[in-house]
Amino acid sequence: MCHRTVVAVQREIEMRGLTTVLITVSPEASRQMRPPRALYPKGFKIGNALGKPHMRELQKKVLRDALSLIKEPPRPGEIIEREYTEYGAENQPE
Amino acid sequence: MAEISRKCVPFTPYERELTRATVAIVTAAGVHRKNQEPFNIADELGDLTFRIIGADDLASDLMVTHHHYDHSDADQDINVVFPIDPLRELAKEGFIGEVAREHIGFMGYTMQLKRMYEETAPQIAEEIDRKSRADLVVLTGG
Repeated sequence: MCHRTVVAVQREIEMRGLTTVLITVSPEASRQMRPPRALYPKGFKIGNALGKPHMRELQKKVLRDALSLIKEPPRPGEIIEREYTEYGAENQPE
Repeated sequence: MAEISRKCVPFTPYERELTRATVAIVTAAGVHRKNQEPFNIADELGDLTFRIIGADDLASDLMVTHHHYDHSDADQDINVVFPIDPLRELAKEGFIGEVAREHIGFMGYTMQLKRMYEETAPQIAEEIDRKSRADLVVLTGG
Protein backbone atom coordinates (compact mmCIF):
# COMPACT_ATOMS: atom_id res chain seq x y z
CA MET A 1 0.00 0.00 0.00
CA CYS A 2 2.65 2.54 1.04
CA HIS A 3 4.60 1.56 -2.04
CA ARG A 4 1.66 2.61 -4.20
CA THR A 5 0.67 5.84 -2.48
CA VAL A 6 4.29 7.00 -2.48
CA VAL A 7 4.26 6.82 -6.29
CA ALA A 8 1.11 8.98 -6.39
CA VAL A 9 3.07 11.59 -4.43
CA GLN A 10 6.11 11.09 -6.66
CA ARG A 11 4.07 11.72 -9.80
CA GLU A 12 2.54 14.89 -8.32
CA ILE A 13 5.99 16.24 -7.51
CA GLU A 14 7.25 15.39 -10.98
CA MET A 15 4.23 17.15 -12.51
CA ARG A 16 5.32 20.33 -10.77
CA GLY A 17 8.59 20.27 -12.66
CA LEU A 18 10.85 18.68 -10.06
CA THR A 19 12.82 15.55 -10.83
CA THR A 20 12.21 12.53 -8.61
CA VAL A 21 13.48 9.02 -7.99
CA LEU A 22 11.83 6.33 -5.89
CA ILE A 23 13.58 3.63 -3.89
CA THR A 24 11.07 0.80 -3.62
CA VAL A 25 11.25 -2.56 -1.88
CA SER A 26 7.84 -3.61 -3.13
CA PRO A 27 8.35 -3.36 -6.88
CA GLU A 28 5.10 -5.08 -7.89
CA ALA A 29 3.02 -2.56 -5.94
CA SER A 30 5.04 0.42 -7.17
CA ARG A 31 5.02 -0.71 -10.80
CA GLN A 32 1.22 -0.59 -10.92
CA MET A 33 1.42 3.17 -10.36
CA ARG A 34 4.20 3.73 -12.94
CA PRO A 35 6.85 5.79 -11.23
CA PRO A 36 8.85 8.30 -13.32
CA ARG A 37 12.08 6.68 -12.04
CA ALA A 38 12.57 3.88 -9.55
CA LEU A 39 15.27 1.67 -8.09
CA TYR A 40 14.61 -1.73 -6.53
CA PRO A 41 17.49 -3.00 -4.38
CA LYS A 42 16.89 -6.67 -5.05
CA GLY A 43 15.79 -8.76 -2.10
CA PHE A 44 15.63 -5.90 0.41
CA LYS A 45 12.69 -6.44 2.72
CA ILE A 46 9.99 -3.93 3.55
CA GLY A 47 11.30 -1.53 6.16
CA ASN A 48 14.82 -1.77 4.70
CA ALA A 49 14.62 0.55 1.67
CA LEU A 50 18.27 1.59 2.11
CA GLY A 51 19.52 -1.63 3.71
CA LYS A 52 20.10 -2.62 7.31
CA PRO A 53 20.68 -0.45 10.37
CA HIS A 54 24.10 1.21 10.65
CA MET A 55 25.37 -0.18 7.32
CA ARG A 56 26.18 3.35 6.26
CA GLU A 57 28.32 2.47 3.23
CA LEU A 58 25.54 0.27 1.82
CA GLN A 59 22.95 2.96 2.52
CA LYS A 60 25.09 5.51 0.69
CA LYS A 61 25.63 3.17 -2.24
CA VAL A 62 21.89 2.59 -2.67
CA LEU A 63 21.23 6.33 -2.41
CA ARG A 64 24.01 7.13 -4.91
CA ASP A 65 22.62 4.56 -7.34
CA ALA A 66 19.11 5.99 -7.01
CA LEU A 67 20.35 9.53 -7.63
CA SER A 68 22.45 8.34 -10.57
CA LEU A 69 19.33 7.03 -12.35
CA ILE A 70 18.50 10.67 -12.97
CA LYS A 71 21.39 10.99 -15.42
CA GLU A 72 20.73 7.68 -17.15
CA PRO A 73 18.54 7.23 -20.25
CA PRO A 74 14.92 7.65 -19.13
CA ARG A 75 12.74 4.58 -18.67
CA PRO A 76 9.53 6.10 -17.24
CA GLY A 77 7.19 3.57 -15.65
CA GLU A 78 9.96 0.99 -15.23
CA ILE A 79 11.73 -0.16 -12.10
CA ILE A 80 15.48 -0.68 -12.28
CA GLU A 81 16.74 -3.63 -10.26
CA ARG A 82 20.22 -3.71 -8.67
CA GLU A 83 21.94 -6.31 -6.54
CA TYR A 84 23.74 -5.51 -3.31
CA THR A 85 25.51 -8.57 -2.00
CA GLU A 86 26.46 -6.73 1.22
CA TYR A 87 22.81 -6.79 2.26
CA GLY A 88 22.84 -10.51 2.78
CA ALA A 89 26.23 -10.60 4.46
CA GLU A 90 26.17 -12.03 7.94
CA ASN A 91 28.89 -9.80 9.26
CA GLN A 92 27.52 -6.33 9.46
CA PRO A 93 30.38 -3.84 9.54
CA GLU A 94 30.65 -0.56 11.46
CA MET B 1 9.10 21.59 -17.03
CA ALA B 2 7.32 18.29 -16.66
CA GLU B 3 6.44 16.34 -19.75
CA ILE B 4 4.18 13.35 -20.17
CA SER B 5 6.00 10.36 -21.58
CA ARG B 6 4.50 8.10 -24.20
CA LYS B 7 3.53 5.80 -21.37
CA CYS B 8 1.57 8.59 -19.64
CA VAL B 9 4.11 8.94 -16.89
CA PRO B 10 4.90 12.51 -15.79
CA PHE B 11 8.55 13.14 -16.48
CA THR B 12 10.86 16.06 -15.71
CA PRO B 13 14.32 15.69 -17.24
CA TYR B 14 17.16 16.86 -15.00
CA GLU B 15 19.37 19.18 -17.03
CA ARG B 16 21.92 20.16 -14.38
CA GLU B 17 24.72 18.14 -12.90
CA LEU B 18 24.08 16.10 -9.76
CA THR B 19 26.88 18.03 -8.09
CA ARG B 20 24.61 21.11 -8.24
CA ALA B 21 21.42 19.36 -7.11
CA THR B 22 19.48 20.31 -3.99
CA VAL B 23 17.91 17.11 -2.72
CA ALA B 24 14.88 16.50 -0.48
CA ILE B 25 13.53 13.24 0.93
CA VAL B 26 9.84 12.32 0.94
CA THR B 27 8.86 9.09 2.66
CA ALA B 28 5.67 7.09 3.10
CA ALA B 29 7.28 5.15 5.95
CA GLY B 30 5.59 7.14 8.75
CA VAL B 31 8.66 9.17 9.76
CA HIS B 32 8.22 12.26 11.95
CA ARG B 33 10.03 14.24 14.64
CA LYS B 34 9.65 12.85 18.13
CA ASN B 35 8.12 16.13 19.28
CA GLN B 36 5.51 16.16 16.50
CA GLU B 37 2.09 14.58 16.75
CA PRO B 38 2.42 10.91 15.79
CA PHE B 39 0.42 9.54 12.89
CA ASN B 40 -2.97 8.22 13.92
CA ILE B 41 -2.67 4.45 13.77
CA ALA B 42 -5.87 3.93 15.78
CA ASP B 43 -8.07 5.12 12.94
CA GLU B 44 -8.89 2.23 10.61
CA LEU B 45 -9.20 4.66 7.73
CA GLY B 46 -5.55 5.63 8.09
CA ASP B 47 -4.00 9.08 8.39
CA LEU B 48 -3.86 11.53 5.49
CA THR B 49 -1.65 14.13 7.15
CA PHE B 50 2.06 14.71 6.66
CA ARG B 51 4.91 16.07 8.79
CA ILE B 52 7.63 18.51 7.79
CA ILE B 53 11.15 17.56 8.82
CA GLY B 54 13.59 20.46 8.92
CA ALA B 55 17.10 20.86 7.57
CA ASP B 56 18.58 20.85 11.07
CA ASP B 57 16.70 17.88 12.47
CA LEU B 58 19.01 15.04 13.46
CA ALA B 59 18.37 11.37 12.78
CA SER B 60 18.09 10.93 16.55
CA ASP B 61 15.23 13.48 16.61
CA LEU B 62 13.14 11.26 14.34
CA MET B 63 10.93 8.21 14.82
CA VAL B 64 8.40 6.05 12.98
CA THR B 65 4.70 5.70 13.70
CA HIS B 66 3.24 3.17 11.31
CA HIS B 67 1.44 -0.11 11.88
CA HIS B 68 1.60 -1.74 8.47
CA TYR B 69 5.23 -2.75 8.30
CA ASP B 70 7.91 -3.96 10.68
CA HIS B 71 9.86 -0.82 11.55
CA SER B 72 12.11 -2.35 14.20
CA ASP B 73 15.16 -1.72 11.97
CA ALA B 74 14.13 1.92 11.46
CA ASP B 75 13.76 2.22 15.24
CA GLN B 76 17.46 1.36 15.50
CA ASP B 77 18.55 3.52 12.56
CA ILE B 78 16.04 5.80 10.84
CA ASN B 79 18.33 5.94 7.80
CA VAL B 80 17.07 2.55 6.58
CA VAL B 81 13.86 4.28 5.46
CA PHE B 82 14.80 7.98 5.66
CA PRO B 83 18.41 8.34 4.46
CA ILE B 84 19.17 11.75 5.92
CA ASP B 85 22.68 10.92 7.18
CA PRO B 86 23.79 9.28 3.89
CA LEU B 87 22.37 12.30 2.05
CA ARG B 88 24.30 14.74 4.23
CA GLU B 89 27.47 12.73 3.65
CA LEU B 90 26.93 12.77 -0.13
CA ALA B 91 26.58 16.56 0.06
CA LYS B 92 29.78 16.83 2.10
CA GLU B 93 31.60 14.66 -0.44
CA GLY B 94 30.34 16.80 -3.31
CA PHE B 95 28.32 14.02 -4.98
CA ILE B 96 25.27 16.31 -4.74
CA GLY B 97 25.13 20.06 -4.21
CA GLU B 98 23.21 20.37 -0.98
CA VAL B 99 20.51 18.98 1.27
CA ALA B 100 17.12 20.69 0.96
CA ARG B 101 15.63 22.95 3.63
CA GLU B 102 12.87 20.53 4.42
CA HIS B 103 11.74 16.95 3.94
CA ILE B 104 8.41 15.23 4.39
CA GLY B 105 7.13 12.16 6.19
CA PHE B 106 3.66 10.71 5.78
CA MET B 107 2.00 7.40 6.42
CA GLY B 108 1.33 5.76 3.11
CA TYR B 109 -1.37 3.58 4.59
CA THR B 110 -4.94 4.80 4.14
CA MET B 111 -8.31 3.45 3.15
CA GLN B 112 -9.17 6.89 1.78
CA LEU B 113 -7.29 6.55 -1.48
CA LYS B 114 -9.28 9.17 -3.34
CA ARG B 115 -8.41 11.80 -0.74
CA MET B 116 -4.80 10.60 -0.64
CA TYR B 117 -4.47 11.02 -4.39
CA GLU B 118 -6.53 14.19 -4.77
CA GLU B 119 -5.63 16.06 -1.58
CA THR B 120 -2.59 14.77 0.28
CA ALA B 121 -0.36 14.04 -2.72
CA PRO B 122 -0.82 17.50 -4.31
CA GLN B 123 -0.39 19.16 -0.88
CA ILE B 124 2.93 17.38 -0.32
CA ALA B 125 4.06 18.27 -3.85
CA GLU B 126 3.17 21.92 -3.28
CA GLU B 127 4.98 22.02 0.06
CA ILE B 128 8.15 20.55 -1.42
CA ASP B 129 7.97 22.75 -4.51
CA ARG B 130 7.43 26.00 -2.61
CA LYS B 131 9.40 25.56 0.59
CA SER B 132 12.18 23.02 0.33
CA ARG B 133 14.22 24.67 -2.46
CA ALA B 134 14.85 21.14 -3.76
CA ASP B 135 15.13 20.43 -7.47
CA LEU B 136 15.55 16.72 -6.89
CA VAL B 137 13.46 14.49 -4.62
CA VAL B 138 14.22 10.98 -3.38
CA LEU B 139 11.17 9.02 -2.23
CA THR B 140 10.96 5.86 -0.14
CA GLY B 141 8.04 3.58 0.64
CA GLY B 142 9.36 1.97 3.77
